[in-house]
Amino acid sequence: MIRGMIRVKGLRKHFGDAHILKGIDFEVAPKTVLGVIGASGSGKSTLLRCLNGLETIDGGTIECGDVRLEAGISHADYRKRVRDLRLKVGTVFQHFYLFPHLSVLGNIIEAPVHVLHTPRKTAETEAFELLESVGLKVAARRYPGSLSGGEQQRVAIARALAMHPALLLLDEPTSALDPRRVNSLRALLRTFVDRGHTMIIISHSMGFLGGVADEILFMDGGVVVEHGPTEQVLNSPQDTRTKEFLEQAE
Amino acid sequence: MWTTAGAQQILRWGADPSGGAPYVFTDPANPDRYIGYEKEMVDALAAAMGRRAEFVPSDWETLVSALQRKSFDVIVNGLEPTGDRARQILFSKPYYIFQLQLTVRADDNRINSLADCKNRVVGTLANTAASRLLDKEGIDYKSYADPVGAYRDLELKRIDAALFDVPAEAFYARPNRRLKPAGEPFTNGQYVIGLRQGDEALKAEVDAAIDKIVTDGTLETILKKWGLWNQAQIEFQTPIRSGNQPQTNVEYTTTEATFNWREAMWRLTRAAAVTVLIALGSMVIAVVLGLPLAVGQWKGPAWLRVLCTFYVEFFRGTPVLVQLLFLYFGLPVIGIAMPGWLTALVGLGLNYAAYESQVYRASLEAIPTGQWEAAYSLGMGPVLAFRRIILPQAFRIALPPMTNDFVSLFKDTSVAFAISVWELATAYRELANASGQFLLLGLAVSAFYLAMSLPMAHLARLLEQRLRNRATDRVTETEAEAPA
Repeated sequence: MIRGMIRVKGLRKHFGDAHILKGIDFEVAPKTVLGVIGASGSGKSTLLRCLNGLETIDGGTIECGDVRLEAGISHADYRKRVRDLRLKVGTVFQHFYLFPHLSVLGNIIEAPVHVLHTPRKTAETEAFELLESVGLKVAARRYPGSLSGGEQQRVAIARALAMHPALLLLDEPTSALDPRRVNSLRALLRTFVDRGHTMIIISHSMGFLGGVADEILFMDGGVVVEHGPTEQVLNSPQDTRTKEFLEQAE
Repeated sequence: MWTTAGAQQILRWGADPSGGAPYVFTDPANPDRYIGYEKEMVDALAAAMGRRAEFVPSDWETLVSALQRKSFDVIVNGLEPTGDRARQILFSKPYYIFQLQLTVRADDNRINSLADCKNRVVGTLANTAASRLLDKEGIDYKSYADPVGAYRDLELKRIDAALFDVPAEAFYARPNRRLKPAGEPFTNGQYVIGLRQGDEALKAEVDAAIDKIVTDGTLETILKKWGLWNQAQIEFQTPIRSGNQPQTNVEYTTTEATFNWREAMWRLTRAAAVTVLIALGSMVIAVVLGLPLAVGQWKGPAWLRVLCTFYVEFFRGTPVLVQLLFLYFGLPVIGIAMPGWLTALVGLGLNYAAYESQVYRASLEAIPTGQWEAAYSLGMGPVLAFRRIILPQAFRIALPPMTNDFVSLFKDTSVAFAISVWELATAYRELANASGQFLLLGLAVSAFYLAMSLPMAHLARLLEQRLRNRATDRVTETEAEAPA
């Protein structure tokens, strides 16, 4: 059996009395794309924030490669493991959060140079390769404020990939894009999957996920309702809640 | 007139009672009462004139203009007749012969006369015979508003010697065992009463009254009571008592103000240099200290937040003038005696750090949480994220209000005059008081201030513009060509 690139077991998260994640289990195999769907408030955004360590988990484990994050360990140990987890998991935020005071190139090499201590020259060479692959090589010296939303997103993808993450998280990547841009984003992400990247994409757009995801995970009320191959979940869902959700989404 | 027939006429007299012993000062035993040998003398004079004396507390530096504004009728405050004052007011005949006494620290054997004071700093009262003598001799001096401050600074080694009229010296320095007189009293000067020009009738009345209290021994009694009776007074009073008119033409030369524009501009330039030094120094303190204060108040543990908040509220909530006075006069009590310029530099720095911390805090809080999360998700720790991502962005937001603060800091250096630092405001006050050139010197001083603050505002604008352009610029394709 292939070990998953990321393995989540019994993941729990609550804010006070509000239990957002009530025991989530799933794995993502290497070089696959998992699409996460669910209504607003189903817990999918919280799941993503747990996977990159922005939220502290209250129960269960997250394993990514040799990093194992679990609830109930000492504070110092937890913090160290979160740092390790973040080095394994790259995130492309819904609103990108590029650093406005740094050029496009500066945004991409910032973490490799200051976190991984990659020599600046090496980091720049790599950054130009990444920019070329997202079609923005000419924009290297520009500043985020002068870029369109689609361009900013591609910089954000390049910035995350510059850290060589084992897993890339994308939060609502299509929310700011027009349909033409959605198609080119899908094509772009597929090229990265073909090069061996693993991704989890949270999206409301079934059309987009249908073309890019290998598997779909449907969440509702803080639990995984259905998880299977894209074809199967989208076209012949097993659970009535999935059916209802997909019908409303059409 | 302010009198009606039958009512006793009033003689309103002005003097500076703060640190004014033994001339006129607040009775330590009864703070509502003024005492002093001149107080007693004016009462005697008024009695001789058939009037009732009424004291109007005033400020030494502005006595002449207050007299002209009719705040009172006569100045009785150890006033020396000088050429420039003679152009503005009338003088009575003299009533006292004063001498000057140099004072040094008891353990100081370097200074025995004024000649030993070259290249040292002497404290004295502004716009007096003593200050003019020092001016003429080319000796560096520091002006004080009263003898108390000067003698205290002498003890604290902020100055090397103090030069005052013997009455003040006798009262404030003699009893102090840490100080000693250097050499004998020297020069003979006269105290006269100042009157408004054109007030000849009152002058005749006052002159007659002076003769009367000299002749009947009243003045001698008063001076003896205050320990001010000496050989100089005997020589001065004897001819009057024997009915001979003494020479009333006063020699002004030793006490003439030596004002000239070249000298004034040179002193203003030095004052401007001190102003710049204080402003830049306190700026550095404010910028550096403001940051830990801001971060402590923003993200620190509870005890640190309380501490930082207390600091900020204390320095924002109390006048900077009071803070400076405290640092200058209060800290020496626990053994920290900084020179005036350093006190001003540190005091303003500590004060402005409180303001800067609030500018920083607001700017830091204005950075969206997403920036922190983006930095964290790239594997940065809090310190790295703060230094590389948050701080540079906050700096852009903070720059305009910081510029604003620093332009006002330049102007706030003027509070240093309260602790006798020779900066622009002090220079203006003293030069203008000595010369009467309030208008021209005022324009010159304003020009100095503008010459300092305008370039700074301009510089800050340039920096802002550069940062702004950067954020939105559209670089041409050739410039953006990658080297790869």
